[in-house]
Amino acid sequence: MTWNAALPLLVLASSLVPGLIIFCLPEDSKRTRTLLNLTGVGLKLALVAFMVWGVDQGARYEIRLPLLPGLDFVLRADALSMFFALLSSILWLATTVYAIGYLEDSPNRSRFFGFFSLCMTATLGIALSGNLVTFLLFYELLTLATYPLVVHRGTETSLRAGRVYLSYTVTGGVVLLAGIAWLYALAGDLEFTAQGFVAGLVNDHQTALVAIFALLIAGLGVKAALVPLHGWLPQAMVAPAPVSALLHAVAVVKAGAFGIVRVIHDVYGIETAAQLGVTAPLAALASATIVYGSLKALYQTDLKRRLAFSTVSQVSYIALGVAIAGPVATIGGIAHLVHQGLMKVTLFFCAGNLAETLGIRDVTEMRGVGRRMPWTMAAFTLGAFGMIGAPPMAGFFSKWYLASGALEAGQAWVLVVLIVSSLLNAAYFLPVLWTAWFEDPAEAWPAERFYGRFETATTLLVPTVCTAVISLAVGLFASMPFSPLQWAGLVASLEYQQ
Amino acid sequence: MTGAGMQAWILPLIPAVPLVMACGLLIWPRQRFLIAFAPWAALSGLICSVAVTPSLALDLPWLLLGARLGIDQTAQVFLAFTSLLWLTAGVFATGSLKDDENKTRFFIFFLLAMAGNLGLVVAQDMLSFYVFFALMSFSSYGLIVHSRTAEAQRAGRVYIIMVVAGELLLFAALVMAAQAAGSVLFADVRPTLANAPTQNWIVVLALTGFGIKLGVLGLHVWLPLAHPVAPTPASAVLSGAMIKAGLLGWLKLLPLGADTMPIEWSVLLMGVGVLAVFYAAVVGVTQQNPKTVLAYSSVSQMGLVTVAVGLGIALPQRWPEILATILFLALHHALAKSALFLGVGVARSHLTTKWHRWCVALGLVLPALALAGAPFTGGSLVKELLGAEAGFLLAPWSNTLKLLLSWSVVATVLLMARFLYLTWPRAAAADTPATYSMSIPWAVLIATLLLAPFYAGPDSADLVWSLSTVLSSLSTLALAIAGTVVGAWIFAKISRHRLPLPPAGDLVVVAEWATCFVLKAVDHAVRHLDRRQRRGATQIKAGWARLRWPLAFDYAMDLAWSTASLLFLLMGLVFILAIAI
Repeated sequence: MTWNAALPLLVLASSLVPGLIIFCLPEDSKRTRTLLNLTGVGLKLALVAFMVWGVDQGARYEIRLPLLPGLDFVLRADALSMFFALLSSILWLATTVYAIGYLEDSPNRSRFFGFFSLCMTATLGIALSGNLVTFLLFYELLTLATYPLVVHRGTETSLRAGRVYLSYTVTGGVVLLAGIAWLYALAGDLEFTAQGFVAGLVNDHQTALVAIFALLIAGLGVKAALVPLHGWLPQAMVAPAPVSALLHAVAVVKAGAFGIVRVIHDVYGIETAAQLGVTAPLAALASATIVYGSLKALYQTDLKRRLAFSTVSQVSYIALGVAIAGPVATIGGIAHLVHQGLMKVTLFFCAGNLAETLGIRDVTEMRGVGRRMPWTMAAFTLGAFGMIGAPPMAGFFSKWYLASGALEAGQAWVLVVLIVSSLLNAAYFLPVLWTAWFEDPAEAWPAERFYGRFETATTLLVPTVCTAVISLAVGLFASMPFSPLQWAGLVASLEYQQ
Repeated sequence: MTGAGMQAWILPLIPAVPLVMACGLLIWPRQRFLIAFAPWAALSGLICSVAVTPSLALDLPWLLLGARLGIDQTAQVFLAFTSLLWLTAGVFATGSLKDDENKTRFFIFFLLAMAGNLGLVVAQDMLSFYVFFALMSFSSYGLIVHSRTAEAQRAGRVYIIMVVAGELLLFAALVMAAQAAGSVLFADVRPTLANAPTQNWIVVLALTGFGIKLGVLGLHVWLPLAHPVAPTPASAVLSGAMIKAGLLGWLKLLPLGADTMPIEWSVLLMGVGVLAVFYAAVVGVTQQNPKTVLAYSSVSQMGLVTVAVGLGIALPQRWPEILATILFLALHHALAKSALFLGVGVARSHLTTKWHRWCVALGLVLPALALAGAPFTGGSLVKELLGAEAGFLLAPWSNTLKLLLSWSVVATVLLMARFLYLTWPRAAAADTPATYSMSIPWAVLIATLLLAPFYAGPDSADLVWSLSTVLSSLSTLALAIAGTVVGAWIFAKISRHRLPLPPAGDLVVVAEWATCFVLKAVDHAVRHLDRRQRRGATQIKAGWARLRWPLAFDYAMDLAWSTASLLFLLMGLVFILAIAI
């Protein structure tokens, strides 16, 4: 085994091994656990950064182990997988630091961090998987690893949310499995290939391919929260804030969106998909989800529920961008994978800070909170403006590329969807900002805690501010090499052979 | 590095200095030193507009999607008056808001809006322009709601809705333009746009999107609400500098001067512009608040700007001269209007002696006269230049437009007379004394305003001095004063009979009223159904309660819906009109 083959395995091991050790640690060995967590994160980030650089230089990282006769377990690093892997590693770092601060003194921390690391392993596995079987394996592992996190609090509501979550995702997994099995029977191959591998089958098996596509998208759409498969997501917001942040920004929802990109680009190929006529319905479904999610968000007063519906809406930008079937729109969609992650993680961190420090869970309780927690609310403001798509936040560039791409592909109606969505985003984010910054604070906060020097615990504040600044920076410096937008351009160019 | 290359590095400083100072204030909110120096953040812009050679450009390929900052003739004029206004208004604010408990917040928003406004002037690509435009628009919200009274909140609400609507219209316009041109640089976009198949869409989106900022008739509703509630120095920059950003947007994006723009746009703009001149005067003259009167005067004056742009579309071969006229018009209005606004602030402070009061009165009358086009002022130059360009139109139109332009003086005089009547300095008006930090910037603005026509161009001084200009401005002024006497008489009649007067914000009030009416009507109908115990009534009631909830939510979505739909309706009408003609 060469180093290049070992690297993908090492990336997985860097979170799997600490995770397994953490399971065995006693509850009160906080220092060892933190050390293990941070070592794992640091190691993973370094490895992934090195691989990103390598992929940019043209290196190949691949490991292939026989799994079943004719089916291999494949981990491979290509442009798209490194894109997702880097996002996950960076946000995992932020979320781990945040979670260490958030779960201070709460029970079952070893269990929590163990599953947290497993969840990360699964996400990285999804990013690096080189064929559909490997993808499915990690996809299911992710479902199982996140369940204990969702029900971590063990309350009645969280258990119910967990049940809903499991029933949705397990069903989704079964549907996905059915699709993959059928595809394997038809094509005899499941290897992710640029421009897809089913082009040769279009003439003979058109209907079957459309049906398989529907199965795959339905299976992935559960996690990507496409309407009407989104029901679990708003319920799952009962999870602790770092879990919600991870769920909405990287792990679960993004795994679904990432899977959709993989299916369209590397299983079907964009040309074949367009030829089969499956991209237009997907674009329509994504647009419906975008508008529906924003509309529902308008009705929520619970801050995290509002953010959850916002996720439903925003994640569909990714599917929309890929389904428009043009190179520029694809850049917008793929870049949004990262952009949305950064902004949404910030917003959930902020919601967590408010709940943890002041006991604020409802939008109406946020009166004047800008004075009490200026840094948190500044980060929230940046995130909210990013979601609205105001320049120069990251979200603006996703929208700009989606709109340009739609015009380029002759689908001007997408512009209307984007404008309506932005209008609704403004309608449910701007009032929150007004309440927080301009209204007079209530006499007492619901449950205030003091943390000394800063407005809240340092471990809660630093990740929040960092992700907010990064989501500003990736927009401001969108033309720099290695910016998400540039890297998304690289991914799109591989698919469109420019 | 060459001299020009070194010089170009002043360009990013223009928006960066106020931005950095705003961040500084965020981090050290109690730093008095930062507040005292906040106004001087505009200085680099002023230096740049005076000292730097035009046609300076700096490419920053790593910023946004490849940014370009630069200065051309247009940008130089805009930069000059914009930075002067921010500087003077800022100094004024250090005096007038000295005892305000929220002055740090005010100056943070002030600096952010300043950065946006100065930055958009030097932005030569669409992305950075849009960034600065958004920065300016969203930050000035903080200036408008500064007092946090119910009135200010309502004004802020209308304002922010219009801002979001404008941003989205512009987003569509800019994306389409970038897509058509394959570039984000204005220099590449303008020529391509002249032949683009989507030209009409882009033009209608840009006209409405920037028109909101400029206060084009129908889109002007936020102006008379926002300008009076903002603190005086903020009103000065809002009305003097920031609304011109809309004009600058038109000048940067639209292919003016190319002869491919359909003539319908010209007809439309001139029609809307002339209507605005008189409509705003009629509504404005009935207002009770001097700052509202000034806001309507801005709408009226921007009507003239709209006419001038329409003229430019009709006469592409005359575009260079018309552009020069528009630039001078913008500069003149910026100086006059901000001088008038600051004058309100000074006149409302405590003036101890009669001598003080006469000085202040003179300081109010001079810019008012300049705006009305009295002889030897920039106003007369504007009228003369515009009239000359109107003469190039075809036969019946040229005389009609000239006549309407001279009547516009009546509109201005009417508004200025009303304004002076409302602000005339009286003894013991207030207890806050006027400080030098208020009166000096005001005096600087007035002096610049009076000197500007003599240095505006190579022949401008001759034109101002020429007998024909003096005579024509004297005659129109006489006509206008006669008209004002009649107007005052009519107004006296109206107020005696207690006729309903148009409220500030005219059209938006109709929209608010209509929404409230609809909401109440449905409420009533649902209650009625419920009382009658009709089948399904419970479901309908619950459904309506669900639907109404966000509508009634804190931020009163009713306004959002009504104004947004009004806006889109208007846009559609404009477009249909344009095609039909």
